[in-house]
Amino acid sequence: MPSSFLPDWKLIAEAQKVELPEVSLQRLEALSRAMLGLRGMLDWGEEPAEIFRVDPAQREPRS
Amino acid sequence: MTLVEAAAALRRRAVSSVELTLECLARIERWNPELNAFLTVTADAAVGQARKADAELASGMDRGPLHGIPIAHKDLYCTKGIRTTGGSKTFAEYVPDFDATVVERLANAGAVMVGKTNLHEHAYGITSENPHYGIVRNPWDLDRSPGGSSGGSAVAVATGMAIAATGTDTGGSIRVPSSWCGTTGLKPTFGRVSKYGVLPLGYTLDHPGPMAQTVRDTALLFEAMAGYDPRDPSSVDRPVPRCLPEEGELSLRGVKIGLPRNFYFDRIDKQVDAAVYFMAYTAEDLGAEVQRVQAPDGEQLNALAHLTLLAEAAAVHEPYLRKRRKTYGSDVRTLLDMGRVIPAVDYIQAQRLRKRILGVYLDILKRVDALLVPATPMTAPRIGQKQVEIGGEMEDTRIAATRLLRGFNLLGLPVLSLPAGFSSEGLPIGCQLVGRPWDEPLLLRIGAALEDRVQLRRAPPRYA
Repeated sequence: MPSSFLPDWKLIAEAQKVELPEVSLQRLEALSRAMLGLRGMLDWGEEPAEIFRVDPAQREPRS
Repeated sequence: MTLVEAAAALRRRAVSSVELTLECLARIERWNPELNAFLTVTADAAVGQARKADAELASGMDRGPLHGIPIAHKDLYCTKGIRTTGGSKTFAEYVPDFDATVVERLANAGAVMVGKTNLHEHAYGITSENPHYGIVRNPWDLDRSPGGSSGGSAVAVATGMAIAATGTDTGGSIRVPSSWCGTTGLKPTFGRVSKYGVLPLGYTLDHPGPMAQTVRDTALLFEAMAGYDPRDPSSVDRPVPRCLPEEGELSLRGVKIGLPRNFYFDRIDKQVDAAVYFMAYTAEDLGAEVQRVQAPDGEQLNALAHLTLLAEAAAVHEPYLRKRRKTYGSDVRTLLDMGRVIPAVDYIQAQRLRKRILGVYLDILKRVDALLVPATPMTAPRIGQKQVEIGGEMEDTRIAATRLLRGFNLLGLPVLSLPAGFSSEGLPIGCQLVGRPWDEPLLLRIGAALEDRVQLRRAPPRYA
């Protein structure tokens, strides 16, 4: 079911000059839906610079 | 012969490295034409390395348990002077002038390389139905997939064409073939084993790791592969502890094992369910405390992992896809094209969410020492089978095969995959033990205790 909240993957693929089979477009739509639902879990107060660091629990000083 | 048995036999002088190597080479010659597990066989070099190993051992120089042991490398690991294809036409003529760190470490440990194993093209898929180098076949049933992408390595180990092998795991590529071929594999903690010289697929998801016949063999290979490498920016500088579980019956008293009540057992084959529960009962019998736990939503975790891989793989392959597009097989090309259209915003949000979900898993792993879950929801599908029926529902084979595994690549947690039983058709069933970061020794200890008790190790009948 098309939704105004979800991207039109066919148009996006065409704009990128990429041809994708129907099953891939459906998969991308499923991922968009999942991401839409997951946005509620985002912590908007987090420090952006932390995002791309390896988790501190996994980080050790190099000797 | 297992690695542990071979290492002991070498030291008793009951066998030589040359004899072990010639036996592996003979098996390759006999069986590789039907199994297609090897892309390159380095017979002459292997015999030379084995002679050297024998001479060193005879002179009293002992490099450790891998000394003189014939192994195979997935053809994703760069090997100096030896073609490294990544299972692709893109790199069909690539002959590296250096060894991957893991290759170098294993050579220094005295391992003998018998060849390079076949894989899913560019390690981007789980069937090992390679469009360029042919289909790898499952030794338990030649009409079935061995899994992938490290399919050739699992088949080589299962049939004794190599005593152990290296693999890589970006979305289940060590654990799917281990599960479907009845072998053992370890996806280490991210940063534990160097990726230097391993052809990349997903920058933050790739995990090189060991594949072997038993948990103890896996431990020995892992110890030799692991450790800090300044040439790999994601490598973490911390010591590698001894991982080999002791011989004799191991108690699991004091060990807490979490059995998720949701997602991991929701939609799986009944025989897989029964086999993994049997492992849980066995753990309890060995003294472990088994607790039910609530895991975060696995479908959401899979969506984040899939999105991350699509984008990272497209970035890795961008220059090659532009210049050598026709060298790619259609399924991999389509996945890379999908990655090109993923919005940057989604990728960034996925990384933010990844961190949050890791926090939830780490909280669970404060209450239990390890999670026990199935590896794949079904046994090996038929070659070319696009859909599988699980729990009365039809599902895409590729998605089904990775849905219980892929999330742990995103989280970077260590996962041991080991046999849990056999189906009524005689096909292997696998399970996973998931641990805290850097806790591979405990996973290997739990795995060894279970393996000793359930005694599931056996060779595929045609290749015994």
